[in-house]
Amino acid sequence: MLEQKIINYILEELHGGQSDVEISPEDDLLGSGLVESMGMMRLIQFVEDDNGIKVAPQDMTIENFMTVAAMVAYIDRAKNNG
Amino acid sequence: MIYLLPHTITESARRFPDREAFRFGNVSLTYRDVEKRMNQLAGVLHAQGIEKGDRIGIYLNRSIETAIAIFGILQAGGVYVPIDPKAPVARSQFLIEDCDIEILVSQPAQRKRISQIVKNKNNIRTVIGVSELEGVNTISWETVFFASTTFNLPFRILEKDLAYIIYTSGSTGQPKGIMHTHYSGLSYARLTAELYQITEKDRIGNHAPIHFDICTLGYFTSPLVGACTVIASDAATVFPASLGQLIAEENLTIWYSVPLALVQILQNGVLADRALPHLRWVLYAGEPFPPKYLRALMQQWSGTRFSNVYGPTETNACTYYNLPEIPATDDPIPIGQVWKNTDYLILDEAGNAVAPGETGELLICSATQMLGYWRNPALTEKSLHTVTANTGQTSEFYKTGDLVKEKDGILHFLGRKDFQVKVRGHRVELGAIEACLVAHDSVREAAVFTVKDVEERLKIVAAVILSTNSEDAVKKLRQFLKEKLPLYAVPEEIKIVEDFPRTSSGKIQRGALVAAL
Repeated sequence: MLEQKIINYILEELHGGQSDVEISPEDDLLGSGLVESMGMMRLIQFVEDDNGIKVAPQDMTIENFMTVAAMVAYIDRAKNNG
Repeated sequence: MIYLLPHTITESARRFPDREAFRFGNVSLTYRDVEKRMNQLAGVLHAQGIEKGDRIGIYLNRSIETAIAIFGILQAGGVYVPIDPKAPVARSQFLIEDCDIEILVSQPAQRKRISQIVKNKNNIRTVIGVSELEGVNTISWETVFFASTTFNLPFRILEKDLAYIIYTSGSTGQPKGIMHTHYSGLSYARLTAELYQITEKDRIGNHAPIHFDICTLGYFTSPLVGACTVIASDAATVFPASLGQLIAEENLTIWYSVPLALVQILQNGVLADRALPHLRWVLYAGEPFPPKYLRALMQQWSGTRFSNVYGPTETNACTYYNLPEIPATDDPIPIGQVWKNTDYLILDEAGNAVAPGETGELLICSATQMLGYWRNPALTEKSLHTVTANTGQTSEFYKTGDLVKEKDGILHFLGRKDFQVKVRGHRVELGAIEACLVAHDSVREAAVFTVKDVEERLKIVAAVILSTNSEDAVKKLRQFLKEKLPLYAVPEEIKIVEDFPRTSSGKIQRGALVAAL
């Protein structure tokens, strides 16, 4: 499932698999420090590659990428419109 | 009379009680609110037994609480020390020990990091802004906001007393604490308010975190005149499209940030088709603005004036250059002239004034100058140059370590005297990164330098000679550095090499090394 896939990417790639990190779909990723700015750029790259979409610069916003849930909603819209 | 930083809040609360003082997302505080809350926090701090000059750590990301924390601590007669929550715990621990910090002001989002910090051996006894944390006394913000809204300081604070300590990286690898007073902070507020004609009608966009002194425009100047400071969220600083929206939708009249944030907004194109009729000034500082981007931005925002602000943290800021026109060439933008209540010298290696138009080190004596380095009188003395007037009075000039040249009364910045560079607005000592790399078991020698990427942004690159090779050496080194250094100081690239080009005396030839890589 897409949600879990993104969470796994954050845990594995951005946190190096540290076991004490927990992420829920509604967590504010940047606000809580779960993801740093460079990590967010890698995460967006992953979302693009994994879903075959291209995130337009004007779509890279807090609303679309603040939480895992927001990303999933954005990806759904992007796929349907694409 | 305003002679302490919190007086700016009290005075603006009297003059403009219902005007917006600070805004973050959808949350906003009027001057009356800020006055109440700073008094509440000051009262809570006093109940914790703080005394004049006690250092209180602020462990917050960009948030509305930053304003309450800064003014609450100052109102209580304390000295605030911003600690970057994104920095490694080891660095936070260093600051906490170095400043004997016993109380932290924080927020629930930092809960996990705080619990790591309190597990370390240090004197943290109370954390404000979180609740129920093992091994430490906690006081939630809800509790703070139940406290009395009036507060009377039981001792006297003078304008020359310490207000805050900001840490920057030091050449030995240890961060150094730069001490500023109420006087230096208020001097900065008064100078900038006059220079940019800032009034209660202004809305100032604050992009910098509070451990970066660019933020003093939003946190000191704005309350002095009763303006509103709109604090950009950490998330907004990551997404240029959101940052652009903030400028437009909050009707900001003044924007102040490092150039990179503006370059990203420009490249994102989010504001390309939007008129910004309110935006009077764009101030930038921290590093040079690549002229090609500055030109494009000035063409786009044609009704806005641009100002290049310069100054090491030791002076807060000290020169400005208001661009008279869109730059026609790619020549670096001058740092301009020193502002009021500020004197300067340009000296050669021997400490003599250079001939007009010649290159030398810039020295500054300003009302916005630091008191010195925290608990480091030797370093303070080394950084200062004493001038004796014919009255017998002495003045201390701060040696910026920056090379400048003066032409027609305008100062031009030519580079650092030593290895210190600015990357994304943060001061980085390349020597400190090298020292850190060499500290790792597998590293024999390290050379760290900067290169410009395609966006003309400086990036840090490390070249390393290993003593023991392993497949994942680069990954391990990166992890090692991340634990020791702030994120912005971790090299973007680490290259493993067999040897360095060297001079006959064995010194690394940096120019040749950069060219070879």
